[in-house]
Amino acid sequence: MKRTLLLAFPFLLAACGQSGDPNIQLGNAWARPTRGDAPAAVYVAINNKGEADDRLVGAFTDHAALAMVHQTELVDGVATMRMAGEINVPAGQRIEMVPGGTHIMLEGLRAPLRTGDSFDLVLKFRKSGDRKVVVDVTKAEQL
Amino acid sequence: MSLSRLRLMLWLVVGLVALGMVVLIWRQSQPQQTASTTLGTIGGPFTLTGTDGRPFASSRLNGKPAAIFFGFTHCPDVCPTTLARLAKLRRQLGQGDDALAIVFVTVDPERDTPAELGNYLTLYDTPVVGLTGSPTQIEQIKKQFGVYSRKVEQPGGGYSVDHTASVILLDRSGQFVATLSPEEGDQVALEKLKRITA
Repeated sequence: MKRTLLLAFPFLLAACGQSGDPNIQLGNAWARPTRGDAPAAVYVAINNKGEADDRLVGAFTDHAALAMVHQTELVDGVATMRMAGEINVPAGQRIEMVPGGTHIMLEGLRAPLRTGDSFDLVLKFRKSGDRKVVVDVTKAEQL
Repeated sequence: MSLSRLRLMLWLVVGLVALGMVVLIWRQSQPQQTASTTLGTIGGPFTLTGTDGRPFASSRLNGKPAAIFFGFTHCPDVCPTTLARLAKLRRQLGQGDDALAIVFVTVDPERDTPAELGNYLTLYDTPVVGLTGSPTQIEQIKKQFGVYSRKVEQPGGGYSVDHTASVILLDRSGQFVATLSPEEGDQVALEKLKRITA
């Protein structure tokens, strides 16, 4: 009996770790201005202040036909851009998207992004559901 | 079919497989195709089309060191990041815009017409030489500079282009000096730019 309890203890602990809820907070969302019908990349900081992990599973906005979680990778000096799978946001951690890595790609913008514009973007999380953030369009050269 | 004949055929198959494996191993041990451009042969004179739609000869860059980047206007992450970085580094050099030419060559000539390219480059508030050309011309200059690019279909329709992310640095006479990698720090990059603009 004692032994069984002892064995079960680590599982109990592990369960405790995930007992709370994730607490997703979004901030520092920005994009560079665009021209013509070129797509845009949005960078967002995701802060999980909760006690459970969550996963970023998608994105959407009224401002573009399509929003996708994308990943730029450098392989043998060649930059490639691909759809990212789900992105894990561990409990108590902050993930800041920066140029050259994960970003939200907006394809089919309703209008090109201009410096000073702002628009709403929704990020979809597995547990926390939809979370809205305001994206600021910032001049390319200032970055 | 007699048993001996079947045996012979089986041996033949074994032989073919073995031969295939030898060829495969031999091919893998060969140096990569991209390595065929050696240091001494990167660059050289070229003529492409400027954003005004007129021919642009590389001789117009002579007398000025140049930072050449290959990209495309529908590139939302790597290209703006690199161009903004080059603009910032040139500012940090503190010798004015004339000290270093920033050149952006498209690897997507089908979409990037001179006008499209010119419009795109107004995003940077700093002089950038934009160059496009016929698909054949672009293939030629890519080969000349040892640059790789490949179209990749996007799930939502349309396409993206994988491409070499390094910036190629040329000295005043158009000779290849070094590359700037996105992975190296700004301090290292600035030192390289100082050397070619000294």
